[in-house]
Amino acid sequence: MTALRAVLLALALLSAAPVAAADEPYPSRPLTIVVPFPPGGIADLTARPLAAAMERLVKQPVVVSNKAGAGGGVGAQSVAIAKPDGYTLLLGLVSISLLPERDALFGQKPAYTRDQFVGIARLNADPPVLAVNAELPWKSVKELLDDARKRPGEITYASSGIYGASHVPLEMLLQAGGGLKMRHLPTTGGGPATTAVLGKHAALWASPPALALPHAKAGKMRVLATWGATRLAAFPDVPTLKELGYDVEYYLWAGLFTPRGTPAATVKALRDAVRQSVQDPEFRSAMEKAQTPIAYQDADEFKAFWDKDAHTLAEVVKRIGKVEDK
Amino acid sequence: MLETLGNLGAGFSVALSPPILFYAFVGCVIGTLVGVLPGVGPLAGISLLLPATFGLDATRAIVMLAGIYYGAMYGGSTTSILMRIPGEAASVMTCIDGYAMARKGRAGAALAIAAVGSYVAGTGSIVGLMALAPPLATFALRFGPPEYTALYVLGLLVLAYMSSGSMVKSLAMAALGLLLGMVGIDQMTGYFRYAYGVVELGDGLGVVPVAVGLFGVAEILASAGQPAPPEVIKPRMRELLPTRQEWRESGWPIARGTVLGFLIGILPGSAHIIASFVSYAVEKRWSRHPEQFGHGAVAGVAGPESANNSATSGAMVPMLALGVPSGPIPAVMLAAIMVHGVAPGPLLIQQQPQLFWGFIASMYVGNVMLLILNLPLVGLFVNILRVPYPYLYPAILIFATLGVYAVNNSVVDVWIMLVTGLLGWLLRKLDFETAPVVLGVVLAPLLELSLRQSLAMSDGHYGIFVQRPIAATLLAAGAALVLLNLYSFVRRGLDWRAKLALAEKGEAQ
Repeated sequence: MTALRAVLLALALLSAAPVAAADEPYPSRPLTIVVPFPPGGIADLTARPLAAAMERLVKQPVVVSNKAGAGGGVGAQSVAIAKPDGYTLLLGLVSISLLPERDALFGQKPAYTRDQFVGIARLNADPPVLAVNAELPWKSVKELLDDARKRPGEITYASSGIYGASHVPLEMLLQAGGGLKMRHLPTTGGGPATTAVLGKHAALWASPPALALPHAKAGKMRVLATWGATRLAAFPDVPTLKELGYDVEYYLWAGLFTPRGTPAATVKALRDAVRQSVQDPEFRSAMEKAQTPIAYQDADEFKAFWDKDAHTLAEVVKRIGKVEDK
Repeated sequence: MLETLGNLGAGFSVALSPPILFYAFVGCVIGTLVGVLPGVGPLAGISLLLPATFGLDATRAIVMLAGIYYGAMYGGSTTSILMRIPGEAASVMTCIDGYAMARKGRAGAALAIAAVGSYVAGTGSIVGLMALAPPLATFALRFGPPEYTALYVLGLLVLAYMSSGSMVKSLAMAALGLLLGMVGIDQMTGYFRYAYGVVELGDGLGVVPVAVGLFGVAEILASAGQPAPPEVIKPRMRELLPTRQEWRESGWPIARGTVLGFLIGILPGSAHIIASFVSYAVEKRWSRHPEQFGHGAVAGVAGPESANNSATSGAMVPMLALGVPSGPIPAVMLAAIMVHGVAPGPLLIQQQPQLFWGFIASMYVGNVMLLILNLPLVGLFVNILRVPYPYLYPAILIFATLGVYAVNNSVVDVWIMLVTGLLGWLLRKLDFETAPVVLGVVLAPLLELSLRQSLAMSDGHYGIFVQRPIAATLLAAGAALVLLNLYSFVRRGLDWRAKLALAEKGEAQ
């Protein structure tokens, strides 16, 4: 009898083994968060403390892997085609909506599409600020735009790259100001764009607040407005564009994504983990130091936000159109 | 001045505190390693280690990362001299004469001169950084896209003017490099060029895989193709030190390299690489024996090795004085201090004197450490030459592949390295120099971007290059150089280059 029981038990164990493998509890091995930019950027600075906080919750290592290239296209594509099992995630920025639009504009096959991702959560959303060289005369958005109206195509603005995260908000403002024209000086990132404005090679740019703050304090840049719905804590005297009567709102946001097709239960587990992670004191202090306020949204809310945001941005990119080469 | 000394004193009290000393040392050791390993350069090293600094405070973090940066310049010369494989892209020029010296049994001397030159340049340029950072940084801001365009054009003309041998061949190679540099996203329109659907090619062909391919892989292929394996040179201990003659020949090149490197370092882009190219060209032009270049000229090692080290200090000028990066490496270092809530900007020096002066002082200390670390290593590294080639070369190939892969976790980069390796081998067989190709790859994106940015600023009018005084002056200098060349061409006289080519021909016969 005991022998029979032992045999039955063994058989039961054997048959149970593959079943256990099929629905093994998630997560049972290390997770990877792909950051599609080099270390040190805002995506990286968000991903690392998030990974550390999630690690404590899911009891599995969470590895951050920087896959930089093509303005974020390389990393995003690698996650888009990854196995949708919840072990490969993407920390994407607002530019995730812009790259496919750029490809569409040139009639190129996009590296990925927005449909290939499911948002788990939005983590932060920072509105850029309108920063002008302090030696230039404009004291308000109105003065600047009036001047632009008088001298179409003569004022130059810098950006961190064409169709990029700081090109689009400026064009939104110019479109809202009645189809104004300025010259565009694309550079290769936030640092070069800041340098161009400081050296007066360009007059202004839509800067992340953390980059503009030290130069505003030193009296080298003047901040005229922000793209957010409410004023920024770092710039309490700076009005929002909405206050000034321009109907534009824009955020440099970061969110966590998983490839479409990830099982619902896994997505649920990830949402729970991220929801608790953003409450983590260490994560909060890391975000505070990086001067990037947390602006958390759970999956459903995030989806609504992202769809609306992407739709607006797509319209702006279409209106900018193909840039004529000089 | 007195105030500066006082500040520096305070800085040394920070730099000599045990924890800072420790992190400076760790940075220097990692930097040397990163420099020695082919493929992995300072950018890769700093990027890979950045996350590890998030747990440190801002001063420790930046001290360690800077140690990696200038430490890599020390280490980079090692494999260039011993095996003609650049440890990192700024050591490409060292490959030429350094390796030639090694073939003559002077590997130890070349390594020692590279280390001492790096030390002199490192220390000298910190004085420049300390004394001149604020005024120089303000001046550098006046360099906008038109000024950079003019500067790069002048740079290419200077290099073409100074290259010896067949000018057509050098120019053809530079043009090939410029073409290769066109691959990738067009920064001005966002269009993908020559990418053939490979997303990874969006950022273009990296300098690291191309340099390792053209020099390293090509060298290995060329050696493997020889009927008999190259002779293993067994270095003798007493031949390790440079002779009095070699010291004398390297004095001025080190001094010139230091000044050149520092000034070029302030400019954006991959300054440490460009600085080494310019220094090599200048030394060759200035030398009383230009025919020795390519055959083991001491100045061809001393100059570029000093220049690339000095350029690292120059690159810190805009970073510390203005809070704006002059290239990818300072950008990562800025991120490292921003993580700690320190806002880089024009007020950094006033608001964070401890960080600034501690950092400056730690660079002095770090350079001493590197000298102490590297000179004894000369004896050790030279012994690598004793390893038989059938073991050495496969090992190098593995390290190079790992290094190139690690930079972006990209297999595409490994393919680029292998393909350019084949190309380099072919070019060597056909007697083309490959260094101008690397220079072209480095300069192409910079030149193209600044040219087209200038035209965006001027709405398509080329007048912008003559309306701005700095740009106009630089272009006038370039035009003068061309005229000078034409003059001797018209007079049908032999200029120094023709004489040099003749001398080299005579030597070959």
